[in-house]
Amino acid sequence: MPGNVPITHYLFLSTALFTLGVIGVLARRNIVIILMSIELILNAVNINLVAFSRHLASVSGQAFAVFIIADAAAEAAVGLGIIIAMFRNRGTIQADELDLLKW
Amino acid sequence: MSYGAQILRLLPEAILTVFGVAIMLADPLVRRKRALGYLAVGGLVVALLGTVLMVQQGWWGPAFSGHILNDPFAVFFRVLFLLIGLLVVCSSFDYLETNAIHHGEYYALVLFSIVGQGLMAASVELVMIFIGLEISSIATYILAGFRTRDVKSSEAALKYFLLGSFATAFLLYGIALIFGATGTTHLAEIRAALRAGPMGPMAAVAAALMFVGFGFKVSAAPFQVWTPDVYEGSPSPVAGFMSAGPKAAAFAVFLRVYLTALQPVEGWFWLLWVSALLSMCIGNFGALVQTNIKRMLAYSSIAHAGYVLVAFAARSELGVAAVLFYMAAYAAMNLGAFIVVTHFGGEGERHVSIDDYTGLGHRQPALAAVLTIFLLSLIGIPLTGGFFGKFYIFQAALKAKLIGLTILGVLNSAVASYYYLRVIVVMYMREPAPTSPPAARVPGAISFVLSVAAIAVLYLGIFPGDVLQFATRSAAFFR
Amino acid sequence: MEFVRNHILTITLFTPLAGAVVVMLLNKERIDAIRWVANIFAFAGFLVSLPLVFWFQSAQPGFQFTEEAMWIPSIGARYSLGIDGISLLLVMLTTVLGSISILSSWTAIQDRVKEYYVFFLVLQTGMLGVFMSLDFFLFYVFWEVMLVPMYFLIGIWVGPNKLYAAIKFFLFTLFGSVLMLLGILVLYFSYHTQFGAYTFDIRQLISLNLPLNTQIWVFLAFFVGFAIKVPMFPFHTWLPDAHVEAPTAGSVILAGVLLKMGTYGFVRFSLPLLPGASADSRIVKFMVALSLIAIIYGALVSLMQKDWKKLVAYSSVSHLGFCTLGLFALTPNGIAGSVIQQINHGISTGALFLIVGIVYERRHTREISEYGGLSNVMPVFATIFMIITMSSIGVPALNGFIGEFTILQGTFEVNKVWAGLATIGIVLGAAYMLWLYQRTMFGPITNPKNEKLADLNWRELATLVPLVIWAFWIGLYPKPYFRVLEQPVAQIVQRVRPGYYAKRAVPVPAQPVVVPAQAQVTTEK
Repeated sequence: MPGNVPITHYLFLSTALFTLGVIGVLARRNIVIILMSIELILNAVNINLVAFSRHLASVSGQAFAVFIIADAAAEAAVGLGIIIAMFRNRGTIQADELDLLKW
Repeated sequence: MSYGAQILRLLPEAILTVFGVAIMLADPLVRRKRALGYLAVGGLVVALLGTVLMVQQGWWGPAFSGHILNDPFAVFFRVLFLLIGLLVVCSSFDYLETNAIHHGEYYALVLFSIVGQGLMAASVELVMIFIGLEISSIATYILAGFRTRDVKSSEAALKYFLLGSFATAFLLYGIALIFGATGTTHLAEIRAALRAGPMGPMAAVAAALMFVGFGFKVSAAPFQVWTPDVYEGSPSPVAGFMSAGPKAAAFAVFLRVYLTALQPVEGWFWLLWVSALLSMCIGNFGALVQTNIKRMLAYSSIAHAGYVLVAFAARSELGVAAVLFYMAAYAAMNLGAFIVVTHFGGEGERHVSIDDYTGLGHRQPALAAVLTIFLLSLIGIPLTGGFFGKFYIFQAALKAKLIGLTILGVLNSAVASYYYLRVIVVMYMREPAPTSPPAARVPGAISFVLSVAAIAVLYLGIFPGDVLQFATRSAAFFR
Repeated sequence: MEFVRNHILTITLFTPLAGAVVVMLLNKERIDAIRWVANIFAFAGFLVSLPLVFWFQSAQPGFQFTEEAMWIPSIGARYSLGIDGISLLLVMLTTVLGSISILSSWTAIQDRVKEYYVFFLVLQTGMLGVFMSLDFFLFYVFWEVMLVPMYFLIGIWVGPNKLYAAIKFFLFTLFGSVLMLLGILVLYFSYHTQFGAYTFDIRQLISLNLPLNTQIWVFLAFFVGFAIKVPMFPFHTWLPDAHVEAPTAGSVILAGVLLKMGTYGFVRFSLPLLPGASADSRIVKFMVALSLIAIIYGALVSLMQKDWKKLVAYSSVSHLGFCTLGLFALTPNGIAGSVIQQINHGISTGALFLIVGIVYERRHTREISEYGGLSNVMPVFATIFMIITMSSIGVPALNGFIGEFTILQGTFEVNKVWAGLATIGIVLGAAYMLWLYQRTMFGPITNPKNEKLADLNWRELATLVPLVIWAFWIGLYPKPYFRVLEQPVAQIVQRVRPGYYAKRAVPVPAQPVVVPAQAQVTTEK
């Protein structure tokens, strides 16, 4: 165990991050912040995976976390690209102004 | 097993990746972009041949330390994805030209998306499933926004992207929890661990969180909100593609994960039950009031996800076979309908209102006739694939004693006939108005894919035996 | 010849479809060629069905001319055809009315002629398939497929309100049939549980032994499907709308043949496959009550109609009430009478719709008040209309009498009150038909527009005369009809009420107990 921190602490941290992320996605209006909130959830997942990996002495959790980090980067790249396209067309990146298509 | 022998289990994906990269490389060098489309068609055909070779040579079984499993289930879906890809690519040539967005990467993205879908169908391990899902999704996010100068398209891409990655995050959180509960990410091992030990609440929470992720990808209620917006805003061939390929792939992993790994967690059955019912009702009643044909088809695709979930809820081999058959039939008929919409929309997709179809039966009888075939199949009239698909679904559900759900399902499918009929009504039973869009000549590629789709729909309806047998064999491993 | 004999049903079934394919290949500008081809194929469809009448063995029980082929092995669905006496009569009705109605559309249909005939011929094949299928799945396929051409026939041609009517027709029947499909599946799975094989073959399904409760649920599922098609009382609302909007030939086929599919469904599937439920006193009372309501309600509503065609449409509700009443009397006379009445209704109501169509084509209105005194200008027309009116209200020596009388006799056997109530329907029927006749035909010509109306031409005569002859044939010499029905009806009664024949010492199945006096002497054919 890393130091004497029990697994539940990591789980609490991860749950807190997850909740913050979900709240961020649902409550914030700026799309870049929404994107960041999603990244927050992904990091909550990473913390979970690494903690479990350590706890269960299985390396596959850490490997998975690496894949998620790579995927998050790809997603962010595509996401920012889409946001820029949107900004060019509409001149705004506020989620509540995306009203051309009925939600 | 040598590395080469392992790759052979992923032969179609390998071929498509090579062709996809080749298209990207050739893009700056080629002036006539249609040639890249032909290259993509070539890639898909070679991949199909590769799949056939794979089956003939018996390259079955696990590969890459058991992350990949090449079984009939995986082959069924890959063949389906490749055929969907062929239809989508062929129907895009003229669409991209009229909309002046003819770029090589369009074709590469379609191929990459199919690579991801193939991986999803062949994976029996959660990390691989996740990677496949992301390859497919990221490519599709870009495709949704491919009409870069059109604000609707960007908006659709943005919504799809945001909600999609939000749902993926839920899925990942569920995966992390299930990893914590069982210490493995292999589906079969997860099942064994869940069966062996006492099941904590973590597995149930994980099943619920993953349900959100998959539910989003198959556009099942209550995670369906994105579907109408995204289908409406995306380029029509892409919307058709999304309704067929990624959706079928998501169903493939949905089935695999829930019927193998999470099978010991009983509680998700009720999630499925409620979601099936909600999807059918929201989809059908939502579609009743739509005036835009793409939105109408989007709602209908929610409803069809509901029917598939009914078969899923049967949790039997017959149910899985029904899902497989239905995905094939649905791909043919829905893609067919979207191809008509693609052609008819014209430049900038101006003609996507149902009223624009007024009198099409007089002006372009052939086009109207094939659209009618697709719509009748979506209703579920016998002698079309849609009928047999529904028949097998409700047969499986009834056999599993899901009587309430079955009755609600068939009543729903009767309600659904109303909005499909409405399109037939405006095409045949109203005189063309002077404001109706001019009849555009149907290009060769479009008529080719339309006839292929129509023949497929009728073939699945009149001689469903072969495909059904294939589906049943593919479902067998769930025993 | 051997080949033809073995495949006579397939040939009969697909002749109209072949016609549809040929018409489809013709250029749509060549309207006359299309008309000729369609008529030739429709008539050929009638001709190839004729040998059925001569080759049919009335004394032989079970199905005849059977054909078998595997269709979808994995679910056990087969292409199996065969007919017994009941289906024989309905098949003949279909081929006769089919060719007559196609002939009657010669001038009535002016736009989109090609599509019209294609749909009509496809419809013809669908209806024949329903009456010939021995496989429940095949039956269902024909049953549903037929909806599509009928939908287009109602929707595309004629009628200001046609969209509404067409959709209503489609939705109603679709709702019914999806529930029916569930019922079929229950039988299918029960058979597998009991016998270990999957089949839709009704000759096998008949050996099922289901608990009464299941039977009742399945019966109700079938009931919705069939009752909507008949249509029985609470489900009848689609019928007048569809009729008013459909072209004449569509109405003839709709009333003449399509509605029979509902009653045929009861007699072919509900009664033999679910004998327990069919004989259950709750179900019988329920069905009889609905039938009686239909008889009286249909007649009363007919009395109030101002629209000629609607009147005939509502009279169908009343007449079909008789058919279902006879069926659920569950006596040989009741069932045999019901089948005969189905044929009668096809003949007389088919003819009545042709008659409405003929005046409609001349005047383009169906308001009864627009007419009056037509017998002065159209004497031949008036005569034929008179004969058909008599046939419809059940005057002896004409077909209607035979059917209604036998039904009443069969009903009287079980319950006198039911028979008594049904008689009210006959009286009301006479009232609305005779009143209609009086308002349109008798008296001086009040409307100047009617003064120049032409009498029937040869083509219109050719459509009506066969029906008149047929009406007289059944009225005067119904014996052959009862003979072909004897075996199947006896089988059904035996199944539904196993003790029925035992109670009566002498097993005399389905005899026409009273035949009009003339019948013994005058044998028309």
